[in-house]
Amino acid sequence: MASIHLQNIEKKYGAFVGVQNMSLEIADEEFLVLLGPSGCGKTTTMRMIAGLELPTGGKIVIGGEEMTEIDARDRDVAMVFQGYALYPNMSIYENIRFPLRMRGIPKAEHDARIRQAADMVELGSFLDRKPGALSGGQRQRAALARAVVRQPQVFLMDEPLSNLDAKLRQSMRVQIKHMQRQLKVTTVYVTHDQIEAMTLADRIVIMNKGAIQQVGTPDQIYSDPANTFVAGFIGSPPMNLIEGVAQNGRFVAPGVTAACPGYVQGRVTLGVRPEDCHVGGDNVQGMVYGVEPTGDTTYLTVLAGTKKIEVKAAREYRSDIDVPISITFDPAHLYFFGEDGQRIRGAA
Amino acid sequence: MAKARKSRGESMLLRYLVLGGWALVCLLPILWFLSIGFRPRTEVITPQPIYWPTFSLDAWHLLMSDWPIAKYLRNSVIAVAGSVVIDLMLAIPAAYALARYEFKGREDIGFYILSTRMMAPAIVAVPIFFLFKTLGLLDSVWALMLIYAAINLSLVTWIIRSYMLDIPKELEDAARTDGAGDLTILREIIVPACLPGIITAAVIAAIFAINEFLFTLLIASTSNAYTMSVALANFTGGSDGIIYNAIALVSFIAFVPILILVILIQKHLSRGLTMGAVKG
Repeated sequence: MASIHLQNIEKKYGAFVGVQNMSLEIADEEFLVLLGPSGCGKTTTMRMIAGLELPTGGKIVIGGEEMTEIDARDRDVAMVFQGYALYPNMSIYENIRFPLRMRGIPKAEHDARIRQAADMVELGSFLDRKPGALSGGQRQRAALARAVVRQPQVFLMDEPLSNLDAKLRQSMRVQIKHMQRQLKVTTVYVTHDQIEAMTLADRIVIMNKGAIQQVGTPDQIYSDPANTFVAGFIGSPPMNLIEGVAQNGRFVAPGVTAACPGYVQGRVTLGVRPEDCHVGGDNVQGMVYGVEPTGDTTYLTVLAGTKKIEVKAAREYRSDIDVPISITFDPAHLYFFGEDGQRIRGAA
Repeated sequence: MAKARKSRGESMLLRYLVLGGWALVCLLPILWFLSIGFRPRTEVITPQPIYWPTFSLDAWHLLMSDWPIAKYLRNSVIAVAGSVVIDLMLAIPAAYALARYEFKGREDIGFYILSTRMMAPAIVAVPIFFLFKTLGLLDSVWALMLIYAAINLSLVTWIIRSYMLDIPKELEDAARTDGAGDLTILREIIVPACLPGIITAAVIAAIFAINEFLFTLLIASTSNAYTMSVALANFTGGSDGIIYNAIALVSFIAFVPILILVILIQKHLSRGLTMGAVKG
């Protein structure tokens, strides 16, 4: 088991900067999720931890040992890939056995360890099949078994669930989390799916354009976003971001007014989550644009000026479109961001 | 009204007729060869063709007694099989390097390797002759083995490379994090994964080598190193003038191994010949 320290790591491809000046401490036994849109550098960061790519600057320390230039095969790191990457010519048994053979683990131990790993992912009865004869979910479980079998210091998972259908993804998610808690292995998990990030992570690192936007627990990321990127990326539907002007404790945008703290001044962006918006009141004067019942809740879209505002309404709420409507915001859950996109915070 | 629709059965019948007809056109020369090979010598040289010949093993007996066919076949097999083994041993690592390693001039080297195939063989015929003469390898099966290997190496490398390019990079990344080194990855992951490509390349190389004529003629000055292709060209049937039925039979015997090889790789052949032009 090991902690991971990334110190000012950087990856450039010619003029293109994949990851810039990134520093991160990952604690022993932590489940850390790198979250961001595609091309944000999260997979590159993971590949550098794995040793599959060398950083162009900075230092990587795993378990107290500097690993920056060490080859992937000599880092005690197991990786699970998006496309499973099972060896097609080998049976599942041989696939799981491969890392044991490569690491020179005594032959006598192989069988017991392979069966234990396979049982952990409920693949015990598929060991003599070839990967081609398994379903997507089974293949991903086989890949997990291959990663756990040699009890590595670190697990790296690169979007392991994104090739699976929604239902399977949910059950695999629980399985991965359970396994990580059981084995207590430091885990870095890359995804672009915020639900996966929120449900799995001890801490989330949100990345964009090669740089860290915010690091925090899922709760912190959700309830205390550092900037508009984080605010707009997390939540489904995401936070409403309304551009307007704040003056003397009053925020004004077309169709929207709200009280704001005195230190918020000038051109700002108001952020408010759909669940903190309620039908009635006087913050928004607009028209109903659309109503989407989902069964357990109803999403209401309100057009205020040219801005569409998402509201999480009562389950039984129904309305025709183009009907005038007013909305209130929960004043305790308003966020203000400056012109640079960063959160405006009062003096502590 | 629209014209009557054809039933499924009728359209299938039509397909079989057309394809069967075309197959007959393609196969007729081979069947005609075979029929000449197994008829008496007198029936071959009649002014009017005899379509239903009498069956005779004359030509077969003549070949077996007068002509060292076993030796020629053995020479062919040794030279061809040896050349294919040499090709694979060199081409597999080369293809892997060209497909996967990042280094300066990689594309140029790949193209240079292929370009050796573009040259007309006659250009190097004379230098090759002197080279082998100096090496004391004239009239030797081993020399043929080396020449066939050299001729086909570029093609074999490129075919295998195109198959390797199709192997997901993730597989190698997985093997590397599992603790495997380059040679282990090549041996345990890459080679098994592109085995169809390797077999295809080997068979294509074997076919080219079996049919190779120019350099074989150059190097094999006596029947010592004759392979089937050159022996066939020199064969007239012996001291009694040209014996057409024996020639036909020998030609057929020479053709059988190639036929078998083509049938073996039929499934992969078109893929191998388009060589990654369209990724499959």
